[in-house]
Amino acid sequence: MKIKIDHIAKIEGHAGFVADIAQGNVIKARLDIAEGARLLEGILQGRSYNEVSQITARICGVCPVVHTLTSLKALEAAMDVFVPPQIVLLRELMMMGQILNSHALHLFFFSLSDFFGIKNDLRLIKKYPQKAKDALLLRDFGNALIDVIGGRSIHPLTPEVGGFKKFPTHKRLKELEEKSQRAISAAERLAKFFGQLKYPAFERNCQFVCLSFPGHYAIYDGEVKSGKSLETASDFMPKIQETQIRGSAVKRSQYGDSLYMVGALSRLNYNAKNLNQRAKAIFRETDLVLPSSNPFHNVLAQAIEMVHCVEESYKLLKKAEALDFEIDPQPFEIKAGKGYAAMEAPRGTLFYYYEVDEEGFIKNANIVTPTSQNLARLEEDLKEYLPSLIGKKDICQKECEEKIKMLVRAYDPCLTCATH
Amino acid sequence: MIKKPNIAIISLTCCEGCQVAILDLGERLLKLTEKVKIGDFAMLEDYPEPENFDIVFVEGTPITSENIRRVKNLRQRTKYLITIGACACLGGIAELKNYQDKDQRLRYVYKNVEGIDNPDIKPVKHYVKVDLEIPGCPINKEEFLDVAKKLVAGVFPKIPQRPVCYECQLKRNECLLQKGQPCLGPVILGGCGAPCPSSNYPCDGCRGPLKGAAINNFNNKLKEIYGFSQREIDLIMQRFGMLNDMYPEPPAIKGNLKVNKLID
Repeated sequence: MKIKIDHIAKIEGHAGFVADIAQGNVIKARLDIAEGARLLEGILQGRSYNEVSQITARICGVCPVVHTLTSLKALEAAMDVFVPPQIVLLRELMMMGQILNSHALHLFFFSLSDFFGIKNDLRLIKKYPQKAKDALLLRDFGNALIDVIGGRSIHPLTPEVGGFKKFPTHKRLKELEEKSQRAISAAERLAKFFGQLKYPAFERNCQFVCLSFPGHYAIYDGEVKSGKSLETASDFMPKIQETQIRGSAVKRSQYGDSLYMVGALSRLNYNAKNLNQRAKAIFRETDLVLPSSNPFHNVLAQAIEMVHCVEESYKLLKKAEALDFEIDPQPFEIKAGKGYAAMEAPRGTLFYYYEVDEEGFIKNANIVTPTSQNLARLEEDLKEYLPSLIGKKDICQKECEEKIKMLVRAYDPCLTCATH
Repeated sequence: MIKKPNIAIISLTCCEGCQVAILDLGERLLKLTEKVKIGDFAMLEDYPEPENFDIVFVEGTPITSENIRRVKNLRQRTKYLITIGACACLGGIAELKNYQDKDQRLRYVYKNVEGIDNPDIKPVKHYVKVDLEIPGCPINKEEFLDVAKKLVAGVFPKIPQRPVCYECQLKRNECLLQKGQPCLGPVILGGCGAPCPSSNYPCDGCRGPLKGAAINNFNNKLKEIYGFSQREIDLIMQRFGMLNDMYPEPPAIKGNLKVNKLID
């Protein structure tokens, strides 16, 4: 028997699903990805260090901030550029905005309808007007953080190698601080709501990977944690093996022989002890037991992270009050070098590598996105999950199709990122 | 006025940032949806498509042969086809490879290139008739809302031909060009609200050239007065796939021999 879903809506990008099944055995389960090849790593060759982060932002309209910043970090590593703590703080604030605006979009607009069998968000909004308001408020708050610091919420303008082209005023940062109060209540309400949803049962053996930084819920910086091992980005990234399926513009990644999952659930599994207070309290109210190997819990993990990120924004904004941003830009020398960087994107660890020549032009580039890492794991999950859906009769009816889509959406895949 | 027009927002290959910008209209988008029927908006719903549309907004670049088929098919099924964003209107960042060795670029990214489409990137208007272009990377969501509202009211909108400088000056920004930065504001179509120069980021032309702008003249001024090299200027103009629109013919250089045109 063949299962074929032509189009899975409500994910970032275009994909369908195909599976081959014979007598209850899943022979093949694969996402069919219809994105065109934009050849990002290729077209960066010969372009200047001062523009490539603007180009890579265009990999994804949902998470342009993390692409901009990880690209900058890799360039800074390649050219040994010192980044002052004020700059790091502003970037961290932008990252809180990034995770909030992306999670709000995914949780309410992409994933929630799966739990109620509703196919149209406009109906979902009518059914849960308060939840919709909370999600929109959190998305707006995330956007405002990016807009105030980055100059624009989609494809931010101000971040550059070593710093910013323009700094936010303290007055505008203060306004954000005030906004965070309403955002925290909204995040708590939404997280409690997601805590009460019924998640399908599905346990599997899975390796998790995310950044880890002592005492922090690592987002902007850290070492790559995978089981008991801890490596720097420059050690980990070269060991990621990217493989290609004939005719597909998307690569699948694995680490050595093992498939792994990145994203909110990985972060929660490893770093929950470093969550902020209110996020921790919400987490304790849920039935979630960590480490969880149920991929559907990625949705709940995102909801808990939203509370954490609003709290973190408030803490960072409080710190920002005392800082002077109008410092002279750090002088740096344009020179040849190689640099690796990793950051936690909303969907998981994002890796960048650049080799720069002595005039600051790109010689080589590599980008490994969260979805390209998750893809192989997701397909393996689908393979393991399908038999329980089709039963003995080898048929995949509506309910089975909906569950397949639900599992795909739980990973929050971004196929435009994966293709790049 | 069309009674409850059936609209669609469709993406070809791109970052989908323009769709995100539309979603970010938030409650104003919800209000708009009271006046229209959403025929297809994959970020919001999972229904089969209707047979025909009144207005189709297209974001993204046609890269795969499926993308091209799709946009041709949509053209036949809609009254208005409107492109949104730099990818659909100009080619966008995907078009950078047109100015490079695109086969080398493909082989650089993929070991196995079989079955991966790698055409020269062309904007949507190359394949089908486009009724209106809402440019930008990403689009200005206010401009989108304005266009959508006018269409729903039965008025065909127009994007005013003004340079980016017009809005930049209204914002009382310091002129980046005068400070020696390669800002393309004077020759680029405004309507964006000048977010870039307002952030000390020189305009890099995501909305494409202003009609009738003296491009060659501007290009030469960038070189003569501000000391930029042609390579630096070209790198900027390539960024959103605009270079070929700026210079459909290579720029005329004084003193060069004129190529004799065939006389018919």
